[in-house]
Amino acid sequence: MNMQTTPRLTAAESALVEAFSGQIGQLPGNGAVIGSRDRLLDDLKKSGLPTRRIESWHYTDLKTLLRSLPATAPASAIDPIAPVLEGSTVLSVLQGAATSEASIDGVEVTTYHDQLVDGSAAASLTALDKDDAIGRINGSFVRDGFALNVPANTEVAQPIELQALHASGQIHTRFPATFGAASKATIVERHQSVTEGDAFVSSISDVVLEDGAEVTWIILQQQGATDTHLGQIRIKLGTEAKLWLFVVNAGGKLVRQELRIEVEGEGAELTLRGVNLLGGGSHTDVTLVLGHNVPNTNSTEIIRNVVFDKASGVFQGMIRVAPDAQKTDAKMACNTLLLSDDADFSAKPELEIFADDVICGHGATVADIDRNHLFYLMARGVPENKARAMLVNAFVAEIVEELEDEALVEALEAIISTWLEKHA
Amino acid sequence: MPAVQETIDQVRGIDIDQYKYGFETVIEVDKAPKGLSEDIIRFISAKKQEPEWMLEWRLDAYKRWLTMEEPTWARVDYPKIDFNDIYYYAAPKNVTGPTSLDEVDPELLKTYEKLGIPLREQEILAGVKTSKVAVDAVFDSVSVVTTFKEELKKAGVIFMSISEAIREHPDLIKKYLGSVVPTSDNYYATLNAAVFTDGSFVFVPKGVRCPMELSTYFRINEKNTGQFERTLIIAEEGAYVSYLEGCTAPQRDENQLHAAVVELVALDDAEIKYSTVQNWFPGDAQGKGGIYNFVTKRGDCRGARSKISWTQVETGSAITWKYPSCILRGDDSRGEFYSIAVSNGHQQIDSGTKMIHLGKNTSSRIISKGISAGKSNNTYRGQVSIHRRAENARNFTNCDSLLIGDKCGAHTVPYIDVKNASAKIEHEATTSKISDDQKFYVMQRGIPEEEAIALIVNGFVKEVIQELPMEFAVEAQKLIGISLEGSVG
Amino acid sequence: MNYVRKEIKMLEIKNLHARIAEDGTEIIRGLNLTVKPGEVAAIMGPNGSGKSTLSYILSGREDYEVTEGEILFNGENILELDPAERAAKGVFLAFQYPVEIPGVATMQFLKVAMNEQRKARGEAELTTPDFIRRVKEAADKLKIDQAMLRRPLNVGFSGGEKKRAEILQMALLEPNLCILDETDSGLDIDALKIVADGVNALKSPDRATIVITHYQRLLDYIVPDTVHVLYKGQIIRSGDKSLALQLEENGYADIIGEAA
Repeated sequence: MNMQTTPRLTAAESALVEAFSGQIGQLPGNGAVIGSRDRLLDDLKKSGLPTRRIESWHYTDLKTLLRSLPATAPASAIDPIAPVLEGSTVLSVLQGAATSEASIDGVEVTTYHDQLVDGSAAASLTALDKDDAIGRINGSFVRDGFALNVPANTEVAQPIELQALHASGQIHTRFPATFGAASKATIVERHQSVTEGDAFVSSISDVVLEDGAEVTWIILQQQGATDTHLGQIRIKLGTEAKLWLFVVNAGGKLVRQELRIEVEGEGAELTLRGVNLLGGGSHTDVTLVLGHNVPNTNSTEIIRNVVFDKASGVFQGMIRVAPDAQKTDAKMACNTLLLSDDADFSAKPELEIFADDVICGHGATVADIDRNHLFYLMARGVPENKARAMLVNAFVAEIVEELEDEALVEALEAIISTWLEKHA
Repeated sequence: MPAVQETIDQVRGIDIDQYKYGFETVIEVDKAPKGLSEDIIRFISAKKQEPEWMLEWRLDAYKRWLTMEEPTWARVDYPKIDFNDIYYYAAPKNVTGPTSLDEVDPELLKTYEKLGIPLREQEILAGVKTSKVAVDAVFDSVSVVTTFKEELKKAGVIFMSISEAIREHPDLIKKYLGSVVPTSDNYYATLNAAVFTDGSFVFVPKGVRCPMELSTYFRINEKNTGQFERTLIIAEEGAYVSYLEGCTAPQRDENQLHAAVVELVALDDAEIKYSTVQNWFPGDAQGKGGIYNFVTKRGDCRGARSKISWTQVETGSAITWKYPSCILRGDDSRGEFYSIAVSNGHQQIDSGTKMIHLGKNTSSRIISKGISAGKSNNTYRGQVSIHRRAENARNFTNCDSLLIGDKCGAHTVPYIDVKNASAKIEHEATTSKISDDQKFYVMQRGIPEEEAIALIVNGFVKEVIQELPMEFAVEAQKLIGISLEGSVG
Repeated sequence: MNYVRKEIKMLEIKNLHARIAEDGTEIIRGLNLTVKPGEVAAIMGPNGSGKSTLSYILSGREDYEVTEGEILFNGENILELDPAERAAKGVFLAFQYPVEIPGVATMQFLKVAMNEQRKARGEAELTTPDFIRRVKEAADKLKIDQAMLRRPLNVGFSGGEKKRAEILQMALLEPNLCILDETDSGLDIDALKIVADGVNALKSPDRATIVITHYQRLLDYIVPDTVHVLYKGQIIRSGDKSLALQLEENGYADIIGEAA
């Protein structure tokens, strides 16, 4: 290696490079997969972790924020937990390794480990662009996960929970999922830490909705207070496909959740809702890049953030309307309750529009609890602290309740109110 | 609605691709050699008969500039500028500095007449307009004439070219120049600090309400000439001033560089209203030529309860890179930004504002209306930043974009950074085309399509037009109509 | 029926001065008013006389600052109490413009409000069946559809529905002092009757009502025992219900003229 061309690496960058060389020969994959891993790591080494000078990482300077990496930890005994939705089929990934295959009626399930070994995963081990640090990290290190393939015209009766649990250490998982034409399914992608130790987690889901598929996809991130979570979901929507994407962040010390969505079929519809609950010293960044690439598609995005303590929150939301993507209807809102003077929040809602016959808009607000609301509740005899709690809950409940599935609403509301009781 | 009617007439009367102000004035000029070096800076400084400290200030900036890199973050695209292929100093030969009107080259006066600038005081006085406007006219690199000086002097207001001010009011210049936009601020501002040739200086003393609108007209005439003006406006405690700048340039095939710096300082209870009607040559229908407008404008609400308000109508320039900003330092201070940015042809606009809330109870308001037509790209880029100690800050932002035609782009890039929980921030943005319903309604009443569009566009921008001084509101509306000429396919 | 018990004072406002906290504008300038248990007192006055401000100050809104005087409620100075504490003591304000609170379920809100007030008074919390029964009874009387109660608080309610929902809350919370702020605004005659019936049904010897209104119309349905004219932050005239009729006929000009 020519030392002169290698920039000085930070402790975390060196740790990544070391972790990679330490695992040479151990990371699963055929020749093509290994080739992809090498390239991604090489690019990562060259560019380093992104800094605030990279526009898409402006508010999350990973180079500075990611100080060090926890040691790679050996597999420890972790037991699966009850699913969020009763009756779900649970596919567990424990400490980064898929449990022996569960079978689901009508759905092809394989472990991602197998796809790495047989090389079918190689094509997806990519970075989406030159600044895609998550794509590079995950592609270099990913070991396992589950791949779902729902055949055309299949309605999956029970929700499927992709349950990624871990203790401390470095965990890299992947969940490709293809939903065939006119299929229907509900998926819960759940990331949760079960011990106190530090973890460094990356996870990517590669989701394809073919024509007319209808999917509800829930991402539930409940990492530990010292964990780093780098999540990414890559989505392609086909003609008339309908996706409900619901993202809840309620944990983690350093969190970046990227939602990279390409709407590629006419008549497709995206409903994105996000609830970000930030407390302690958490830095949580939700970054959306949404491309409306064909005519006649629509999307609505509502993100609600509640920020306590010394937490710092980020929402970046870019809606891009391609030339000729006429009749795009896209509306985005990002509302934040900033509840502590030591907390901060940054929002960058972006519109990039190249077609004229569109209706696009975004709104962003940052404020404390509405005084009129507070007064109304208190005038009815509700004490101030209780009234505040009710209003904070209502602020997020409002979008949870949009979900049609009542069991899902109850489950999410329970998670949210438990979190709020602990932090408010 | 006479203004709208005028717009329609204007649209009707103008040929596609005709830039009204694209004539050239044949005048004898005094030029420095092309290129940028310490010697050129010494030359400029000597021409301006500047004191030694000013030369030092310029040379410091130049040294710093050499170490800097051109910014690339804006959504604009242009070939690399050769800073050594530009004349940094060009002056009409018979003008060594501001003189009385009678001494001004009659050719020059004709130019300003053609531009419709009310240079001659008697013309204004005879005109129908009720208020008087004092004008400082800058032709290429020098200020040629400042009107109404005597009358302003009586009120205690200083209004003169900045070159004059450097000689006559060195204390004020030393105190305030570079205090809002430091010489090291950014690439173009640093370049400006090194080579600025002229500009306006306004000082409104404590408690004085400036008795008339102040105005500067900038004109780039010479080929291959950069214009680097520098404007400094100071409103002391309780003072008020309203200032307007207008800009034009001849139609030329090559690109010309305009890198200005404007600094505003408002002390306790002072108010500065700064309006711009920018109509530099935008380039031709093929995207050839046009002005590169790389401008740094910043106001410092230094005092409590001070207010700075920026209003801009941007219709010209091939590339616009401009973010008039407010630093809300004083408690209870207020910043405002009202903008209309119209892009057509191959124009590229990346413009917006920054509202930096530092003091308590500070408030800001941003209203931006972008209109894109032809093959242009129009970006609003803005930042609202609430610092940790800025209790009870308020911001309201509204950015609307209108697209005319399907070959243009409209982009919105707001940055909202809040570090104080008592802040209340509201931001909203929309992008749409002129609604078919609106157009149909207007056309059904017998108004042809192009006029219907002009009418609707004027409605779209009305909120901002209202912020302009009366005399210029009509002119601005005309300009918008002309700029959109040919946009209906 | 006249319930007024002459010997006891429920509400006593003495020389009240108050201003808008934010900009210091004085709104209430030396107001005196006494309301007795069982009494229905009407407060009338032209726009901007301070009527709504008075209702906010009574219920403890932070936006106003009392600079002088006192408000005694059943003999106790309540100025230091926050809105919830006053509500628990029995002060109820029916808002002129009830706010919409998205995400807060109406039923949940009613239950929390009722139980918090009970808790503050040292009473046992309601059981869920008891709570539901009470709401249903009260809602039926006011012709409030159950579907309305399933929506978030006041969200998407029409003007009339909002006013009826306010009266429903009043019935459920059983306050001692009901303050109706321009309850008639935006109501058609049928809705007005329903609301007035609801208010009248709550009349009792222990409960007083302050009806704030601009017009005499509402007073045809909720008949006042006393009428007070508020102007520039002071009560400039008090009388019985004939005063309201006199105002209806001659407008405020005469009385204002006299006072000036």
